[in-house]
Amino acid sequence: MNLGYQCMSFDVLFNQFMSGIARASLLFLVASGLSLTFGVLRVLNFAHGSLYMLGAFVTYTIWKTLLIPVVGFYVATFLGALVMGGVGIIIEFFLLRRLYARGWPEQLLATYAIVLIITDIVKWGWGGEFLSIPRPKPFTGAVLLFGFPFPSYNFFIILLGLTVVIFLWWLIYKTRFGDIIRAAAHDREMVSALGIPIPWLFTWIFVLGSLIAGLSGAVTAPFGSIALGMDVEIIVECFAVVVIGGMGSLPGTLLGSLIVGQVYAFGIMFKPELALAFIFMVMAAVLIVRPWGIFGRPER
Amino acid sequence: MMQRSEVAVNNSTIKRSWWLILLIIAFLIAPLVMSKFYLTILCEALVMSLFALSFNLLFGYMGQLSFGQAAFYGLGGYVVAMLITKLQFNFWLSLAAGAGMAGLVGLIVGYFCVRLRGIYFAVLTLAFGQLIFVIIFKWHKFTGGDDGIQGVFPPEYLRSIEAYYYLIFFVCAISAFILWRIVNSPFGQALKAMRENPERTEFLGIHIARYQLIAFVIAAAFAGLAGAVWVPFYRSVAPSYLTWIKSGEPVMAAILGGPNIFFGPVLGMFIMTFVHSYILGFTHFWPVIMGTIILIIIFVLPGGILEFAKVKITERREKAKIAKGQT
Amino acid sequence: MLLQTQSITKEFGKLRAVNQVSLDIHKGDIHAIIGPNGAGKSTYFNLITGYHPATFGKVLFKDKEITHLPAYTRCTLGITRSFQITSIYPKFTVYESVLMALLSHRKVTLKFFSSANKFFKEKVWNILEDVELANQANTLGDSISHGDKKRLELAITLGTEPELLLLDEPTCGMSPEETESTMALIQKLSTERGITILFTEHDMSVVFGIAKRISVLHQGTLIADGSPQAVRASEEVQKVYLGGTA
Repeated sequence: MNLGYQCMSFDVLFNQFMSGIARASLLFLVASGLSLTFGVLRVLNFAHGSLYMLGAFVTYTIWKTLLIPVVGFYVATFLGALVMGGVGIIIEFFLLRRLYARGWPEQLLATYAIVLIITDIVKWGWGGEFLSIPRPKPFTGAVLLFGFPFPSYNFFIILLGLTVVIFLWWLIYKTRFGDIIRAAAHDREMVSALGIPIPWLFTWIFVLGSLIAGLSGAVTAPFGSIALGMDVEIIVECFAVVVIGGMGSLPGTLLGSLIVGQVYAFGIMFKPELALAFIFMVMAAVLIVRPWGIFGRPER
Repeated sequence: MMQRSEVAVNNSTIKRSWWLILLIIAFLIAPLVMSKFYLTILCEALVMSLFALSFNLLFGYMGQLSFGQAAFYGLGGYVVAMLITKLQFNFWLSLAAGAGMAGLVGLIVGYFCVRLRGIYFAVLTLAFGQLIFVIIFKWHKFTGGDDGIQGVFPPEYLRSIEAYYYLIFFVCAISAFILWRIVNSPFGQALKAMRENPERTEFLGIHIARYQLIAFVIAAAFAGLAGAVWVPFYRSVAPSYLTWIKSGEPVMAAILGGPNIFFGPVLGMFIMTFVHSYILGFTHFWPVIMGTIILIIIFVLPGGILEFAKVKITERREKAKIAKGQT
Repeated sequence: MLLQTQSITKEFGKLRAVNQVSLDIHKGDIHAIIGPNGAGKSTYFNLITGYHPATFGKVLFKDKEITHLPAYTRCTLGITRSFQITSIYPKFTVYESVLMALLSHRKVTLKFFSSANKFFKEKVWNILEDVELANQANTLGDSISHGDKKRLELAITLGTEPELLLLDEPTCGMSPEETESTMALIQKLSTERGITILFTEHDMSVVFGIAKRISVLHQGTLIADGSPQAVRASEEVQKVYLGGTA
């Protein structure tokens, strides 16, 4: 793309802004699950990106096997997310549950071990090729935004991101389950003393996180970017998101995603090879002022 | 009442130094009895051990888990590679520059990280490590990007595996000695105190952030030195040296060998390096094996191998004592 | 005058935990701060030691303002504290714990290459003998009895060779015998080492047994201050402790 001075007008900026929003939306999808799990379980799930990657590959295989016309992608995405929820149950039940009483370094390392194991499962099951699913109707084409083509599939991502924001907000602030979640994040012993089974709560939260991870992996398939290594790429940006926003905070995750998405979008316009570096510089700047992130609370 | 002198004198020191002397002799004669293949692996194990020791200064002694230590390791390697290939810089000065540069970047990164504790510290070190990785990976013109830098040769007299092995051994042994002195010094005591009870330590007049920053810089410099001394041996450097997968290796080594014992991470690294090269003989699925090992260690051997052995030995001694008392 | 607080105030949101407390602490005194639960005693301690920043007001130590100094600097100036919930080093031996305090106070913690064990042997043993923990010197901090832990924390604070020692409930959870010996110990520290002691306590027999001066806090406000006799006679204090009937 030619980015001479005369083109740096409103329409270019707006276009860039919109792709920043789309990216923020995807980041929020992934980071929200990460943040939710951390907020309640106090376990930082390194394997969250791996669940996202596995979700993408599983969805691809389901789509390829079923080959349902028109709605095939949506069906596959739905099933793929469900499968990842199942994987979440397995991980929580057989591994994490046995580690809650131990120190966080062990928990962190256990999720790191899952990263390594899932990497090899994907390598073994799908090989190292790039895979993709064609964009589903009605999001196949592009829309002209002030004369610039903008992929309409991005609208789907933005829409999905909004849906998940609203869903999580409703779940956490408007339901009884949400009351329990917030109470457990605040004081685990108290909730337990009130007779609510904490292990059961943790399983559901972890499953919800895995489900969202699988869902977000699935919807990246039409971008043509399912490949090994997509896990590390996204998880590191997600860490930047939660560090900026404040770990465990939903509004923080939303704000962090928007910041990182925009910084990336405009950074790419500026100096593509350093777009990622800009994100971390913004992160450092935020940390100087607020070491715990924008919405984060200090430990003490 | 207990005699005052009993506390200060460490009666196992003499026994322990015997072991150490035997070990040093074994390392010195290794090139005479080992094949080139195994000597190469030994070199790698030594360098990675130094890397793991640098990490464990923070983890085992200060109680902070850095998940970005590979950034300093890789940085040391890159500085040496660039100085040697682009500027034909003096080899020895390049090594020092590698360690120095890693320490300097450690000072900047550490400034942000030491204000946080626990999992927050881990995430932030990871994020900064990744930043350094991204810069090196994407800055193609300067660092060679994805391809890395090839043809990093040590001076003529260090070209043979045997000669370079001795260099690696001495660098690692001296560094380990320095680190050992540090962890047993008053400064090391302050690090342990921060691990045990940061609040109490602060209220004894210790400026926690400053001490953690000093330790962070020391750890970064030794990680940089490990990378710096490795790259001319391997003749090349690549961005993969800075990834979080690489950062995970010292974490695993420490947990495997035992983070609360000085040589724990060294044992862990030796096991990992030799198992790795053995397994690569018949499969490329190393990560899944590594992951399984981690899970086994966490569930079966909490505290690591050496800690496990220590507990068993004390148990046996206690039993013997009781048996003696009964007869 | 060793320490002076001038209208020191701490607000947590809308709650005023400490309300304009002005108090002088004299050198060599054993000075008790008492008051019902939630009176702001611990918060007042936290303001003096730098655990919390003050909302407004001043703290002066030896006529120098220390209101905005961080906790570790206040400690190096000579103010050390113990915590209500005993704060020790669980995996350090009793000896090492006291040694740590001395290393920090005598500013040798930036020595990187000499062995920590070489330092201050005589001094550490002196302190351990003073608090009667010498026979447990090699025991780990978390495997001694509760009363001994309290004494260990006292020993650690002595390692910083303080001029002003703040003790937050020093006999909390102790048996009557342990309480007795701790009181004697505090007396001894005051007379032999000349340490000024400021303490909070629930047990009134301890307070009236050793304090030379007593200040009473109620809902964050200082309502009485003076000798034990004067405080005992104060109507205000009786009202607070005995309810509105007095």
